[in-house]
Amino acid sequence: MIATLRYEFLMQIRRPSLWIVYGLVFALLLITMPFWSLDMGLPLEGGTARQDMTTAAMILITLLPVVYGCMLADRPGRDRLLHVDGVLDATPTSGTARLLGKWAGVCLATAVPFAIAYFGRAVLWAVTEGDPAALGWAVVTFLAMIVPGLLFLGALAFAGSLVMPSIMFRVVFVAYWFWGNLIPPNTMPTLAHTIFSATGDYVRWGLLHPLPSGMVAYGEATLDVLRPAHSPATAWLWIAVMIALAAVLLSVVRLHALRRES
Amino acid sequence: MRIDVTGLTKTYKGGVRALDDLTLTIPTGMYGLLGANGAGKTTLLRILAGLLHPTEGRVVIGGHDVTTQEGKPAVQRKLGYLPQNLGVYPDLTARAFLDYIALLKGLHNRSGRRRRVTELLEVVALTDAADRRLKGFSGGMLRRVGIAQALLADPELLIVDEPTTGLDPEERIRFRTLLSRLAGDRTVLLSTHIVDDVAQTCRTLAVLANGRLAFQGSVTDLVSVANGRVWTVTTNGPPPTEGRVVSALPEAAGMRYRVVSRQSPDLSAKPAEPTLEDGYLALMDQVPV
Ligand SMILES: Nc1ncnc2c1ncn2[C@@H]1O[C@H](COP(=O)(O)OP(=O)(O)O)[C@@H](O)[C@H]1O
Ligand SMILES: [Mg+2]
Repeated sequence: MIATLRYEFLMQIRRPSLWIVYGLVFALLLITMPFWSLDMGLPLEGGTARQDMTTAAMILITLLPVVYGCMLADRPGRDRLLHVDGVLDATPTSGTARLLGKWAGVCLATAVPFAIAYFGRAVLWAVTEGDPAALGWAVVTFLAMIVPGLLFLGALAFAGSLVMPSIMFRVVFVAYWFWGNLIPPNTMPTLAHTIFSATGDYVRWGLLHPLPSGMVAYGEATLDVLRPAHSPATAWLWIAVMIALAAVLLSVVRLHALRRES
Repeated sequence: MRIDVTGLTKTYKGGVRALDDLTLTIPTGMYGLLGANGAGKTTLLRILAGLLHPTEGRVVIGGHDVTTQEGKPAVQRKLGYLPQNLGVYPDLTARAFLDYIALLKGLHNRSGRRRRVTELLEVVALTDAADRRLKGFSGGMLRRVGIAQALLADPELLIVDEPTTGLDPEERIRFRTLLSRLAGDRTVLLSTHIVDDVAQTCRTLAVLANGRLAFQGSVTDLVSVANGRVWTVTTNGPPPTEGRVVSALPEAAGMRYRVVSRQSPDLSAKPAEPTLEDGYLALMDQVPV
């Protein structure tokens, strides 16, 4: 598992297109979002390291997962496409270990530019505000609010590779991202802002930056059953849901591979 | 390492029966597996390597049943496998690719693994290209990377599926010689549709036709299948209609045809010494389609 993790990580992180595409989208974020301005353009009561780090995460999470999903898309089917699968399958390392290693390695590598952008912002904040606490909050926020969603999205790409070619997955994924995560839920039925959405809203509002009591994020919408109130408990629930979904998707991928052997 | 295949049948999902009740014993040493395209060679080798489950039958390799959950890794620890169309990661160097496969094969000791990789790069004459990315490698070089990865764990069983296809004559000969050298006290199972590859390297072989065993035995036994059935006919007229024409060579007196046939194809036909290719063709004429 570690061997596959290591080599899949290496192959992915050395891909020039990974850095180019992330760079372009990040540039777009800089131009259109207040990410880089030191007060982040948000007049929330803000100003504390904890709140600003949460806001910074929220801003990145609007668009960077699109790059993340698209850059991951071709990885699951790559061994077969390159005809390396025969050699790999003939080794005594189990298919399950290799699948987990590949998933972890590829997710990790594809999250590196994301992490660089985020922690870069945190360092800048810590320096200009003279408050190193930002770095600690950045770590917590990244792990709690961003990573669970990325693990789930990674598994989604693996499952997607079972049913469609990577090019098509990218198109579907971009559509899914905007429909299932970003659009306000009162415009149409959507998974956005539910406990199944990958944006980390629940950790943001439930754990890191609680909304003033009585304030709700959105008005009435369909599928509100999937939108329990923000609280620390639902924040942890969201993390558990993301990990459980990833586990289910990866199991499906593994079972599918076992069936192909027969 | 001995391989016992018993009643092996493989029916693919589309209904193609690639192997049909195959029973076969493969001893230690170099062993040829000959058959036309589509005969079922790759299917058999993939089952032996643990990549594919048979529909029916048993495969015992060195005492382990490869079709079982416990047997498969036990066999794979002693296995080197060069698939028919081997692919590599174009963005890795030859050395990194071998290092990765070595790790998957359980060579966890770092310095030992590095030494083994360097050693094998030397064996396949790729030392100079070791640190170049695989995307620039020629077909022959990739095949050599393929054999190097198969040898990493010093396997007792080496399975190579059509390793000489697409190589130029010199490369082919070099590759064949390398395989023979590797045989020694391990089992090398060489699948090919090229009769000459087997003739130059193996003493024993099996012939597959339509998923069934058409022949099992020594090379000389297969040659003798064509005893008394090989003829040469030299004529200016049309080619002989009886039997199967193996070759046609223009000569001063006309065209000289080599024919495999039960009866003399022509009054002027002279009997000739059979080769392995003649034996193979004579055998194919007997095989029910
Ligand atoms: N994955 C597959 N699905 C369905 N049919 C297959 C598959 N692989 C091979 N076959 C069929 O099985 C038969 C044997 O193929 P194969 O084992 O590749 O033969 P060989 O290696 O001797 O050329 C052929 O008819 C081939 O078309
Ligand atoms: Mg084949």
